[in-house]
Amino acid sequence: MTERTLALPQQLSQDPGKEIKELTYWGAVRAKLLRDKITMAALALGLFMVAITLAAPWIADNVLGFDPTDTNLRMRNDPPTWAEESWPKFENFTRTCQGDSGCAWSLWPEIFADSAAGLRACWGGGPGNCHWLGTDNAGRDVLTRGIYGGRISLRIGAFVAAIAMSLGVVMGLLSGYYAATMIDHVINAVIMLLGSIPLLFFLIILAAVFPFFRTPFGLSFMLGIFGWTGISRLLRGQLFSIREREYILASRAVGASIWRIMFRHMLPNVSSIIIVIAIFDIAGAIIAEAGLSYLGVGIGPPNASWGNMMQGSLGSFTSAPWLVLTPGIFIFLTTLSIYLVGDGLRDALDPWLKNE
Amino acid sequence: MTRYIVHRAIQNFFLLWLGTLIAFTIYQMAPGGPIQFLDDDPTATAADINRLTRSYGLDRSISVQYFTWLTGEDWTPNNPTWRSGRCISNPNKCGRGIIRLDFGRSFFFKGESVIDVIVERMPATFTLAFASLIISVLGGVPLGIYAALNRGRLPDHIVRVSTVLVNTVPHWWLGLLLLIVLGGFLGLVPLSGMQTIGDGSLLDRLHHLILPATVGAIGGWIGFSRILRFEMLEVLNQDYVRTARAKGLAERTVVWRHVLRNAIMPFVTGLSGIFLLALSGSVLFETVFSWPGMGRLFITSVNARDFPVMMALFVIGGFLGILGLLMVDILYGFIDPRVKYDTAK
Repeated sequence: MTERTLALPQQLSQDPGKEIKELTYWGAVRAKLLRDKITMAALALGLFMVAITLAAPWIADNVLGFDPTDTNLRMRNDPPTWAEESWPKFENFTRTCQGDSGCAWSLWPEIFADSAAGLRACWGGGPGNCHWLGTDNAGRDVLTRGIYGGRISLRIGAFVAAIAMSLGVVMGLLSGYYAATMIDHVINAVIMLLGSIPLLFFLIILAAVFPFFRTPFGLSFMLGIFGWTGISRLLRGQLFSIREREYILASRAVGASIWRIMFRHMLPNVSSIIIVIAIFDIAGAIIAEAGLSYLGVGIGPPNASWGNMMQGSLGSFTSAPWLVLTPGIFIFLTTLSIYLVGDGLRDALDPWLKNE
Repeated sequence: MTRYIVHRAIQNFFLLWLGTLIAFTIYQMAPGGPIQFLDDDPTATAADINRLTRSYGLDRSISVQYFTWLTGEDWTPNNPTWRSGRCISNPNKCGRGIIRLDFGRSFFFKGESVIDVIVERMPATFTLAFASLIISVLGGVPLGIYAALNRGRLPDHIVRVSTVLVNTVPHWWLGLLLLIVLGGFLGLVPLSGMQTIGDGSLLDRLHHLILPATVGAIGGWIGFSRILRFEMLEVLNQDYVRTARAKGLAERTVVWRHVLRNAIMPFVTGLSGIFLLALSGSVLFETVFSWPGMGRLFITSVNARDFPVMMALFVIGGFLGILGLLMVDILYGFIDPRVKYDTAK
């Protein structure tokens, strides 16, 4: 590894009278982050998603005017209210595309005009009169369920990342510190065990058998318990070189306890990796939850999560695509912001690294 | 090398056995037990439940149930402690244990043999997995090479951005989306199944296969191109590549003979998880595309609490996963003559 030096800001050397402000590591990270426009935009998007899910009850009451669990059996799989006129026309259009005569493009001006008129009517209609993104198979408002679903999906993401990280860090530190001893072998065996069973099958069996694993906390617990192996293996590899450094030997020589060495001397060296992976883990957990709930072994009704909202679309996804699109776009926006923030953080946490 | 592979195989099968033990225990802890599926059936009387419990041998101790499930009951003492009611009344109906590929009889499929139910669905899963693998290699490898050779330029950025974008949504959701647009709106692809009923022609099968296989390949596609790009960049910086260029070799020769051959190893490692990935993926993709394979069978059996089918799929899945890992180990030795497992400790 090459020697890293922190270049002092230019003006300091030119103006010797000025007080030299030392740039700490975290100061440098923050400075680099603030300069990174994409990361900042992604962060804003992520905070926006968190905000609308936190404010879901207020938004549902005052802006949308629907309750996430209010069913209305006369309005099952209804298109968005503003598209009541244009949706059948769009379906007509797709039908012509499947025929031999070719797509009837002439329908589009009408579709646009009807949609625009519908949107205007919706906008002026006030809360409770417009299903912005249609209704699901029980007549519930999809947009309301979408923002409520975020409460569960985001919570699961955060829980899973927290559980997997804590476990992974402890296991990784232990197996890195005690490399090639019994503890290391046992941890490796557990990782191998988890690697040689079809984990998704196992998770599904667990979730199907125990109702506990279908609650938000239980599901996060399950995903976290099985999601720590990656970080543990990565840390173990990183710690291999760190444990041979002189300062570890020195702290051992002055009688520092194992835990002190692990958490005060070894952990800070890998903290940047841990932070970045924790952030990516949130996205992974949101996607995993969506998969399990879609299969019907995740979050159960009447709770809404981004995954189980799509489960109800199984028989009607072509006639009511908003059931699939809405939760998917929520997932997309959230994980996109998470990925971009994680990516920016990875660069920023290495302030001495030049952009490639 | 043989010794290493045998060692790995034994290790892995031990772990798989441990996995079956854990899964079996968990299922026994289930509220209601394996006969729970009868709870939903209003016509089932207490006598029926008793009869079924005895017939399937669920009244025996859990350790005996596990033992006979694993090794068979035809060689155990002929008494109710060891044998199920069915086995006692008719010795031909004794379980032969999963080590002899007898996974018992399904609850949900009216007593059909589990292995028959699964074997019937295996070709569908393998067709989809194999087609996905081919598409992901054919798509991912050139993409990775192309991105590496154009590093930092527009093609590289496009590849990188698109892989990030694709990874931000569940891949099965992309499948649903494509199904809506291509199948529902445009009618270009069929909405479900493996073939039109009554039409088993190759063309019809391919028509049904194309979208599921492409969507199933997205994960591998991205993974392969990413691995290959990274490794190519590593190798491109090596001295021997500079030497090859300096001695005037054509760029094509440098890339194919010197760079690619050395960059391909980690790519092979990436293949090792492919069976497990294909199986895990099969659960979601087969549900999305109504593909009549093992993944959908698994979901059906889980929802119907069909314990024997569930366990059998779990074990077979684990077995296939291990097979994949071992195959890659062997492949490694063939591709790279420097690999000697016995000396590398």
